[in-house]
Amino acid sequence: MEYVSPEGLRIDGRRPMEMRKLHAEMGVVAKADGSAVFVMGNTKVIAAVYGPREVQNRSQQMSDQALVRCEYSMANFSTGDRMRKGKGDRRSTEISLVVRQTMEACILTHLMPRSQIDIYVQVLQADGGTRCACINAATLALADAAIPMRDLVTSCSAGYLNSTPLLDLNYVEDSAGGPDVTVGILPKMDKVTLLQMDSKLPIDTFDNVMQLAIEGCKAVATYIREVLLENTKQLEYHRGV
Amino acid sequence: MGLSNVVGDLSLEMEVDAFRRLFPLRFYERHLSESIRPDGRTLKSARDTSVALGAVASADGSALTKIGSTTMLAAAKMEVMTPSADAPDEGSIAVEYYMPSICSPLVRPGRPAEIAPVISKQLYDTILSSGMIDLKELSLISGKAAWMVYLDIYCLDADGALFDAALLSAVAAFSHLRFPVVSLNDEGRLVMVPEEGNGDKSGKEVVNKEKRKLSLSSPPFSLTCALHKNYILADPTSEEEAVMETFVTVVLNSSGHLVSLYKPGGPVLTQTSVIQDCIALTRQRMKEVQEILDESISGMEID
Repeated sequence: MEYVSPEGLRIDGRRPMEMRKLHAEMGVVAKADGSAVFVMGNTKVIAAVYGPREVQNRSQQMSDQALVRCEYSMANFSTGDRMRKGKGDRRSTEISLVVRQTMEACILTHLMPRSQIDIYVQVLQADGGTRCACINAATLALADAAIPMRDLVTSCSAGYLNSTPLLDLNYVEDSAGGPDVTVGILPKMDKVTLLQMDSKLPIDTFDNVMQLAIEGCKAVATYIREVLLENTKQLEYHRGV
Repeated sequence: MGLSNVVGDLSLEMEVDAFRRLFPLRFYERHLSESIRPDGRTLKSARDTSVALGAVASADGSALTKIGSTTMLAAAKMEVMTPSADAPDEGSIAVEYYMPSICSPLVRPGRPAEIAPVISKQLYDTILSSGMIDLKELSLISGKAAWMVYLDIYCLDADGALFDAALLSAVAAFSHLRFPVVSLNDEGRLVMVPEEGNGDKSGKEVVNKEKRKLSLSSPPFSLTCALHKNYILADPTSEEEAVMETFVTVVLNSSGHLVSLYKPGGPVLTQTSVIQDCIALTRQRMKEVQEILDESISGMEID
């Protein structure tokens, strides 16, 4: 099947280096300490952060830092065919672990000892790149909850089909059987915190694809900064500053 | 300042927020005696309600409803199935209600919300017994194929009146539902045809071209009221629900019939006049909600 036409257009009409349309909102769940919705094309994810709060399981309490927990689940209607179980399966457990470890690396946990920070991510619509959207949504939700972090964490994926590196794969491109590289970076510090790749790639091609994904992450970071700035202006306005 | 005459036994002055946390019952009674609630509403009024149809693009019908901060997302997906032998002309509906961990600080992995399966059953019973949907409309080929509608409702923010918001989102999602197009394939089975403009390549006969949406007869609407001493509070928030432990949920349909009444115990024992008052409040609320729903349906039809 042709994923990149001879004119250089992908199935959804994008160019190979073009990201899907981004949209984000903060403070969407009133009950949560921090929350955000992050949309990348047709993939829509909602994240809620509760914490720092008392540790639920005393035996897991750490005296010098905060405990970070994460749960990833998908709504039954999020994929094309209705899913039976949206959490507890292997894929959801793996993504929960990945998101937890990624966010834990950038939260300043030593400032909140003996407490627990819960990050819950719910996928409402899945069209490829759910892992990336989850991390981006979690970053905004943590910022909304005023949890101190070293830097933002932004994430984006890239692949390689029909000999072309493609940025931000959707579901059809992701299931094509080609390589899928997911990258998560701390943009200001210019460090990579998450890197996952499957399928096969020659090493120099891998380098190109990874650089493309990092560029995507930086574009997401620029957008997230705009959203944070706008949100802060709204908060100032409401406080009458 | 302020509250030292109310909190007679405490000689300290106290901030309003602290008083609200430490003595919630007295905080509320202080408001109720003036016939007002902390968020400024009167005892009879419900919070701002909104309905947005088509919130989930990949579902056959969906709706996002908000009552105050309480947010529910309902999405319906349809599949073809074989009808059961004792009802060959009828399809089937499955309603599930979930409270994922994002909705409330009280819900955590390993400690699911106790109220979720209760509301799930209540919703299923109410929707089926209201007769809003004629199961015969879901039949495709008698005895061989019929529609199965899976309705999943997710609570995204739990701030009281969960059943009301969930029922409204279910009714809205059913109003928005559009049947997928199906045709008979070579093995004589019904398959869904993708909605593409390039026409039906296989040239197969489309089985249900004309019948594309559900006709809902007298959809049900509900109102939950919290009871405390002699007071009736319509549409309680989660804080009010935590303080007042007795609730009555009344479900009416648009023809004015009583579909269901639910008062699961609670410390306040009521006389029937109180129930009549709740029914009257529900009738009024139903008019408001029906307008809101009709507006969003007609807004969608214009598109």
